[in-house]
Amino acid sequence: MLFNSITFLLFLPTVFVIYWVFGTKKVIFQNGILLFSSLVFYASWDYRFLGLLTISILLDYFSGLKIAQINDKKVKKVWLSLSIFFNLGFLALFKYYNFFITSFTETLSKFGVESNFSILKIILPIGISFYTFHGLSYVIDVYKNKIKPEKNLINYALFVSYFPLLVAGPIERATHLLPQIKAKRIFCSQKAAEGIKQIVWGFFKKVVVADNCAFFVNQIFDNHQSFSAAELWLGAILFSFQIYGDFSGYSDIAIGVSKLFGIDLITNFKFPYFADSLKTFWQRWHVSLTSWFRDYLYRPLGGSFGSSWNSIRNVFLVFLISGFWHGAKFTFLIYGIIHFVLYELENYNNHKTENTCYRFIKILKTFLLVTISRIFFRAETLTIGFDYFVHLFDFSFTSLHFFYKNSKFILLSFISVFSILLMLFLEYKNGIEENGVVKLSVHLTFAIIIIIFFMGSFQKELPFIYFQF
Amino acid sequence: MKHFLKKIFIYGFLVFVAINLIAWLSLSSLQNSSFYKPSYLKYEIKEENFDYIVIGSSVGLTGLDTKLIDSIQKTKGINLSMDGTFLNSNHLMLQHFFALNKKTNYCILAVNPNDIVNSKPKLNLNDYRFLPFINEDYVFEYYNKMENDNFKILSNSKYFPFLGVSLYNSELFYPSLLVAIHPKTHNRFDDNGNYAYVGNTVLEDKKTKKIIINWNNPYVEKIKNLCLKNKTKLIIYLAPKYKTEVENQNKKYEIINFTSEIVDSKMFYDSIHINESGRRQVSEKIAKTLIMK
Repeated sequence: MLFNSITFLLFLPTVFVIYWVFGTKKVIFQNGILLFSSLVFYASWDYRFLGLLTISILLDYFSGLKIAQINDKKVKKVWLSLSIFFNLGFLALFKYYNFFITSFTETLSKFGVESNFSILKIILPIGISFYTFHGLSYVIDVYKNKIKPEKNLINYALFVSYFPLLVAGPIERATHLLPQIKAKRIFCSQKAAEGIKQIVWGFFKKVVVADNCAFFVNQIFDNHQSFSAAELWLGAILFSFQIYGDFSGYSDIAIGVSKLFGIDLITNFKFPYFADSLKTFWQRWHVSLTSWFRDYLYRPLGGSFGSSWNSIRNVFLVFLISGFWHGAKFTFLIYGIIHFVLYELENYNNHKTENTCYRFIKILKTFLLVTISRIFFRAETLTIGFDYFVHLFDFSFTSLHFFYKNSKFILLSFISVFSILLMLFLEYKNGIEENGVVKLSVHLTFAIIIIIFFMGSFQKELPFIYFQF
Repeated sequence: MKHFLKKIFIYGFLVFVAINLIAWLSLSSLQNSSFYKPSYLKYEIKEENFDYIVIGSSVGLTGLDTKLIDSIQKTKGINLSMDGTFLNSNHLMLQHFFALNKKTNYCILAVNPNDIVNSKPKLNLNDYRFLPFINEDYVFEYYNKMENDNFKILSNSKYFPFLGVSLYNSELFYPSLLVAIHPKTHNRFDDNGNYAYVGNTVLEDKKTKKIIINWNNPYVEKIKNLCLKNKTKLIIYLAPKYKTEVENQNKKYEIINFTSEIVDSKMFYDSIHINESGRRQVSEKIAKTLIMK
């Protein structure tokens, strides 16, 4: 059930009405309705995935209780290790097993050794990377005494499976979400109205910005050798806006939907393309994941304390693992490594300035560096990624004919550019310090809805990119 | 809560009215223009009687030059073929033609052999071009029959025009803005409804393949019956296909088999479409062999 599907358009109002009509007396009713709806939502992808989700919920729920009950630090650690082992084990099995086996057998065959490992014919359960990280953060926080374990299974199950964030985040923290789940929600029309505006804004970013850019991006990346350097540059730039519109659009819809049920989710994007350095970029892009890695990987490893070598190693590991988190492909590893290299280089050469012109250049530079790194994120294989990258600098062929080859292409080029500029303008106008939320007036919301209907791309129902992770 | 729902209902209703109004204006603008063939036939073509019409897919649109045929035979013909369509859409076009009270002596159905074989016709790529005529029963019934999704967007556009117009916004909404200023703009066809491909792609030199086709598509018979009902003679024109010869074993229909008529690869735009030179040669031959006056 995609957020941009007719089924969801029927599902959401139904749950909303049932929730506020039948769930107002007790919090347990509210949570029960939300949990049931979340399971229906998840089962709509494939009911078989429910089994794994249930195991994951039960594993972390009981691990949390055990860790809190036991006083012996060693036994506590065993329970924590078990939970981490099983959580990461599921992730490794479903997401990375085939990748490691294939890479291993390929390496062996290069040395002339024939191996007989078979790959698994399994589908990646949707949202596994997200709900595994939910569960892990909860168990670690209980272990570190940051929170008390949740005794009510319904509350905990809802924390992990809450449908707005189940399949593509934001990756919530128990410290933020569980207290809201445990408290009875009272309808607030202002919050609900904000939610609807945020949903509309999210749809605009997904259906108008991302899906129109996808029309060009898919053709360019699928057959990059037929395009000029200028077209490849534009293809990469449009991909940057596609993935931003797609993922931040999803997050906006998720946060907006959640507001309808009286629950605030953490902000996932804080206008990252206005970042003037890679450091600030990562403080604004997929914030829930970056902060997860900061709190549960970077800091436990020692963070920036200790020798500079240790600090560099920690940054390297965070970028490498966060790249690999996106999927079992070498392209994602390279994506992570590129960001590590650029990040470290920037650390040695970062001058703070108040000069507007210089700041604009820095914003542009950051955007271009991110855009180039994304070539590897989007490319099917490393070879294609490198080839695309090399062709970017082949200035013997600089035509932009692809974008105006017929009236349809001219029109879609216009819509893409217009929608990107409108998005950036509204983000800028709302102030980049506004905590990542574009505040729309009623009139503007009305106009955006009209734009969605007459500029949106609807013929191909394109799934959200981050659903595959 | 009640206050919120009331507000949502009011704003939702306003949005609903606004998008439907825009969509309705858009369809009206297209209907009163010559942009797509169905509208062109109603808005621009004032003649009611024709010697012949050509219906079909891109092989008809780009493979027969009615202007050239008319200049040789001194006839009055029009090309109503549309790219991206198949026999079911061609049947719809013929229904549309007769519904506009127009008459023709001959109907040339230009087809690609593959289309005749297809036993399960479905909604075609450019069928949205009939959407400005959704209030006509034959268009509504066509969409209703061809749409297989649970939610029939084109059919339901009869009641909520925003559905079809937003789904095909780049094909319907933006052209409607253009034709509001220039209503006689054509979408890739000339005043007689023809269009030609220029140039050619390199085609592999291979041995001519002989094929026998099964006449599975139910719309051939439907088109024939519609022609009979309107006292029109149906001629099926099998368009040239590179290095392919269809063996005609069907005696039920009057067929002009030109599948192997063009052998020179320079006269093909691609393997199933002839270019401007090929079109000239074929049209001249049609004009000499098929007397429609």
